[in-house]
Formats: sequence, structure tokens, C-alpha cells
Amino acid sequence: MNRDTLALYSIFLLLVLLQVMLFNNLYLFGFINPMVYLFFIVVYRFENDQTLFILLSFLLGFAIDFLSQSGGAHTIATLTIAFLRPIIIRSAFGVTSEIPSSFQNDSRILSKTAFLALLIGVHHLIYYSIVFFNWNAFYLILKNTLLTSVFSLILIALVSSLYKKLNDS
Amino acid sequence: MQRIFNALVQFRNPILYFVLLGTSLLFLNNRSNFHQSQLHNYSLYFSQSLYGVSHRISNYFQLKKINDQLLQENRALKELELKSNGIALYPTALKTKRRFPFQVKAAHVIKNSFLNQQNYLIIDKGAKDGIEEEMAVITDRGIIGIVKTVSEHYASVISILNQDLKINVRLKKNPAFGTLSWKGKNPIDFQVEDIVMNAGLEKGDTLITGGMSSYFPLGIPLGKITDFERNIQSGYYTISTELFEDPSQVYYVYVIENLEVKEINVLNKELPK
Repeated sequence: MNRDTLALYSIFLLLVLLQVMLFNNLYLFGFINPMVYLFFIVVYRFENDQTLFILLSFLLGFAIDFLSQSGGAHTIATLTIAFLRPIIIRSAFGVTSEIPSSFQNDSRILSKTAFLALLIGVHHLIYYSIVFFNWNAFYLILKNTLLTSVFSLILIALVSSLYKKLNDS
Repeated sequence: MQRIFNALVQFRNPILYFVLLGTSLLFLNNRSNFHQSQLHNYSLYFSQSLYGVSHRISNYFQLKKINDQLLQENRALKELELKSNGIALYPTALKTKRRFPFQVKAAHVIKNSFLNQQNYLIIDKGAKDGIEEEMAVITDRGIIGIVKTVSEHYASVISILNQDLKINVRLKKNPAFGTLSWKGKNPIDFQVEDIVMNAGLEKGDTLITGGMSSYFPLGIPLGKITDFERNIQSGYYTISTELFEDPSQVYYVYVIENLEVKEINVLNKELPK
């Protein structure tokens, strides 16, 4: 187990704990709980094994679901976003996921933001669709998706810049 | 084998994704009552739609069978209706038990002529189905004719669109008898003769079968009086009538069998001519 892998699993555990103990109890404006654990999807290196990534994402979602007593919405949303990540990378950066270029080294701020926004938006849309699971709640799903996405985006951007600084130092 | 394995390796990510997705859906179903009931609703909706489509399709192919069943049911009801026709005309008849010696069989018309002066029909039931000569043929709204000849599977019927055929009729509101026959032109225009003038009648009165023949039971509604003429010299009305049923457009008919026709015929023969 090399240093990178160790760091990855530490991040995994840390994110689960942070999400369950801190962010799930935040209730900004009464209903917004930013999903910071998505940082794992961002930080997993593009050139690493995709199969392992899907499996790890499933475990991540499952752990969050398990510890926050929710049905399975986190699992499904996280699993799907992990499966779709190559497509999102392609549409955000205009490169294939096989080309070794990690998010942290990419300097184009617009591409980074697009990647984060797409990832978080799709994840939240799936998550709230499953939570409400009802056609009649369509506007409620959209509202929750948009507002929560904004806060998740801000927090994940903060965390990733922090992570970059830690890595550089 | 190698190719299957290669394909599995190549598509390992989608396969893994869908397997895990299925697992998490199972978890969702088991852990949350709300999702369980919602999933149940959706599956019910889909299965109902599917069932509805297949039901409609299979229904279509069963139409013929259902049609035959309905025809059989109608046949049974027709028998009851014929029985009750007579009861309504004689309210006291309920007190005494009357015999009703008529039986009904359903049949289809396979040929029907109506352009000649002597018209005939052919129906798809014959001797094998218990059809005999001189049985009456009716529809749900009137009478059609009398069986003339019978083969094994078919029977020919003298249509009432035949000027040789005279039907014993009466008024529904009073028991004045007359004879119904075709005028020979329009298939629903008939005339009734021999109704005595002291019987009061009006336009629109209903004519029913008279029950004085061994062919038709009493009380089958036939048509309405459209016009009538007093014939002072003979003392009878000449009545124009319009049938309820157009005999040129029938497809389903009922053949009525009088179970006691032989008894009646024996007595008839003994009458002085």
C-alpha cells in the first residue's frame, strides 16, 4: 500500500465521519445539508482503476446511508455519479478520462467549476428524486437540488483548495 | 468461452454498476416503507397497463366466443320473454299454472332475399340441431317466417316478405283478431285485414301475434298501426302497419319449436272442412 492509496482511504473514512457527524446535522435555512463526501468522487485520480472506483463509491454511499439511517438514496446517487464520471469529465474538460490529468493539476478554473457543478448537480438531482420519489414533488426536487448544490459546490471547492495546499506543502 | 470472458472484462464497469444499483434498490425497498409503497404503486401501475393491453388483445380474439355465449343467453331470455308476453295480457293467468309448450333455438341467417314477391331465407341450423318443418322463426323485435324445408345442417324459411304467408295477429289493447300480410313493396310495410269494425283502434296501436296458430306463441310485438280505413260494406278494417323489425336486415334469429304441434294437428284433421 503506497502513500497515495493510504491517503485515499484516509480521505474516505474522514469524509464519511465528517458527513455523518457534522454536515448531516447542519440544516442551513432549515433544510440544506451540503454533501461534502462527494469530494471523494472529485479527488479520486482520473487515471486510476474505474472498476475499483465504482465499488468504492458504492461503499461510500452505503456507509453514509447506513450511518445516517436513510433508505438508499446516497448509495444510488453516488454509485451512478461514479459510473457517469468519465462522461462528465469528457464534457467538462474536453479530454478522455484515460489521459492522465488530475483535477488538482488542471489550471483552467472554468473547466474545474463546470466539472464540479455537473458532478454535484447530477448527484443531487438523483438523490432528491429518490428521496421524494414522486412526480408531484417535481418542483420540490428542483428547489432542493439547486439550493443544496450551491452549498455543496462552495464547500467542496473550499475543501479541494485546502487539500491542494496541503499536498503542495 | 474466451469471448464471453473477454466481453465480461470489457463491460465490467457497466455490469458492476447495474449489479450494485440493483442491490441498492433492494436495500431501498427493504429499508424504507415509503419507497416500498411507492415502488409497489409504480409496479402496480405498470403491470396494470400491461395487463390492460393484453386483456384488450385477448378480448378481441374472444369476441366470437363471447358473441355465441350472448346468443345462447339471449335464447334463454327470449324463451322467458315469450312466456311472459302472454302473462301480461291475462293478469289472472298468474293464479293458474299455464303450460308453455314452446322452446327456442338460436340460428344465423346465411341468405336472405327480399326483392322478390316470394322471398326465402336460409339459416345455418338444420335437422341435426332439431329444426323441423313449420317451426316459427323470430328475431328480438318481431317475426321472420316459418321453416319450409330442412336439410341436415341448414333450413329454408318462408319469409314474411312473401304474399302467400298470412300471420294471425291481434291488437295489444284488445283481443280483436286479424290477418297480417305483406303489401309486396317496402319490406316493413304490411297490411292487416279482417279486424272487425266494432273494435276501437287508433294510429300508433301495437300489433302482436294472436296465438291462434300453432306456430307463434301469443304476444310477440310486431309493429305499429300507421293508417287504417273503415270498410263499411264488409264491416272490417283495412289497416296499414309498419313492422318494428326490418326483415331484410336480420342476422340473428330464433327458431321456435312448439312441442305440442302434433297434438294440435291431430285435432285439426278431425275438424269438418
